[in-house]
Amino acid sequence: MNTELNRESLLKAYRMMRTIREFEERVHTDFATGEIPGFVHLYAGEEASATGVCMHLSGNDYIASTHRGHGHCIAKGVDPAGMMAEIWGKETGTCKGKGGSMHIADLSKGMLGANGIVGGGGPLICGTALAAKLRGDKTVGVCFFGDGASNQGTILEAMNLATVWNLPAIFVAENNGYAETTSPNYSVACENIADRAAAFGMPGVIVDGFDFFAVYEAAGEAVKRAREGGGPTLIEVKVSRYYGHFEGDQQKYRAEGEVQKLRNEKDCLMQFRRHVTADGDISAAELDAIDAEVLAMIDDSVVRAKADPKPGPEELLTDVYVSY
Amino acid sequence: MNCLLPTDFDRHDDVIVGVIANPASGRDIRRLTAKASVFTAAEKANMVQRLLGPFGALGVDRVMIMPDSSGIAATVERSAQINRSRGESVWPLIEQVKMKSTGGVEDSQNAARIMRDAGARAIVVLGGDGTHRVIAKVVPELPMATLSTGTNNVFPDWREATVTGIATALHVTGRIDPSITLRRNKQLRVNLGEYTDIALVDVCVTRLTHVGARAVWDPDTIAELFVAFAEPDAIGLSSIAAMINPLTRDEPRGLCLRCGTEGRRVLAAIAPGVLETVVIDHCEIMQPGVRYAIRTERGSIALDGEREIEFHRGQVPRVTLELNGPPTLDVSSTLAAAARLGVMATPCAREMLR
Repeated sequence: MNTELNRESLLKAYRMMRTIREFEERVHTDFATGEIPGFVHLYAGEEASATGVCMHLSGNDYIASTHRGHGHCIAKGVDPAGMMAEIWGKETGTCKGKGGSMHIADLSKGMLGANGIVGGGGPLICGTALAAKLRGDKTVGVCFFGDGASNQGTILEAMNLATVWNLPAIFVAENNGYAETTSPNYSVACENIADRAAAFGMPGVIVDGFDFFAVYEAAGEAVKRAREGGGPTLIEVKVSRYYGHFEGDQQKYRAEGEVQKLRNEKDCLMQFRRHVTADGDISAAELDAIDAEVLAMIDDSVVRAKADPKPGPEELLTDVYVSY
Repeated sequence: MNCLLPTDFDRHDDVIVGVIANPASGRDIRRLTAKASVFTAAEKANMVQRLLGPFGALGVDRVMIMPDSSGIAATVERSAQINRSRGESVWPLIEQVKMKSTGGVEDSQNAARIMRDAGARAIVVLGGDGTHRVIAKVVPELPMATLSTGTNNVFPDWREATVTGIATALHVTGRIDPSITLRRNKQLRVNLGEYTDIALVDVCVTRLTHVGARAVWDPDTIAELFVAFAEPDAIGLSSIAAMINPLTRDEPRGLCLRCGTEGRRVLAAIAPGVLETVVIDHCEIMQPGVRYAIRTERGSIALDGEREIEFHRGQVPRVTLELNGPPTLDVSSTLAAAARLGVMATPCAREMLR
């Protein structure tokens, strides 16, 4: 597979990562005011993972996400303005303001939802992947999960099922180093989550989650394999998050200066920018322009979200259960 | 200590051997793009334990093992305790190196430095070409006994760990002369401005401008290839050179190949289970000490199969063949000498054929 991206794709990837970052930084700031209801779990720092994977997906492919789902949503094409309104609990939100951060879903974009159930995405993706296999339409399903979810039975059962049925599924373990506050060193009985793939008879690979190109290459091979009928793959993305498990987390389990060091030395946007501008293929001014456009778009989405109405009381029992 | 052979060797100090089993070896994208092998942590722990019997039997006093969070070192330590409690152990004393694990390549390097400073006479390395390379970078004069648990495994031995354990013990106890037990390897040095790095097998210049997932699996991306040695029965990028001009590990020369669209077509096993055609339009012998300029305008450089360095327009990396690479244990020569000298047999047994 040729992993060289053309100019257009590079700019698209940068815009996607920048949008996720700007979205999360803004939610971080606004959540501190106390105006946003519920809980938020921010994805800042992990942008290369969602972007590197979802750049290979079409609108017909499905993803299942986690409680830390904003990045996956944006990378899969969910409207950031609708997401912002959703997080603010407004009726213009992606789920009419009833889901909030942890339940943003947009089936029209192939986004099955952020998920408050740790490890809840695996069985969902087995379902979409089985449907894809039965339809024979070459679509794939991607299950994002974390290092905490890697120990959940649902994920292990899903990986087993995906192999048994040879499903077009990709399991992306975003190992950000903390299951809430617990290091995998204390809770995962192997050095690498990818090691578990062998037990299920699927390939398992490890990539640097701060390097967009590393994720993009591995995901490209896994998606290609799945579309061709080769079956499931486990990709372990070694990464870190810039904020706490949830907003308000004091993060006393992290070393002092840990996040700042990552921002200074490994940040995915910094690495990407340095790489694509090194030979002059893309100028810093072009990337600066994207930064400004994204910032304006996020600003606008917040203004609109604040101004939009909340769902009325008559909406309380609608959209809650599926009617068949 | 329950040494099973006479201990009439140099014993000024404890005989210490280091063991580094890289828990991350054999986990890259070639599990996906090829059918590369997977060595589990359990198997690596088993391999380490198969070293320990020979070590204990032949007079190694202490083994320093790199700690890891996959349970390799912990499993070995637990087994040693069980053996001791049963009173049946001839294993040496096992101790985990006191260091902070990061999960990165620096773990192997930090462990190697600590082992060297503690007086280890050799390090047994369980890993692939990359693991051996990063250790050779930081302890270039400390002999390595090599065991394959990586992807291509061109540099390290494919061998039963027990046998490597015997040879290592014979070397570190001085029973066989180092002129027999050790082999001096070649290495390739890459210079890019102030930056310098080494490869033990091959330096591959790719047209890919990013290091990305690191491995090289698409032959169309290969622009230039420099090899320290090229064995026809190996896999990986050096096998391309081997199919044009085989080169042993002992010959004081290397090989430089440049790819094109017209030239000699070479079918080679560039990854486990993967045969690909590469078109070579230039091939020349590398002389040691001569700096060969990379002609590709920009791209990335893979060291022993993994992209490590990105270079850009205006930069000209250079590759030099060096003959003073790391020493490694020559297991075959060591055991042949042991047999010839009767090291492993009692005097009475040695008389049997007379």
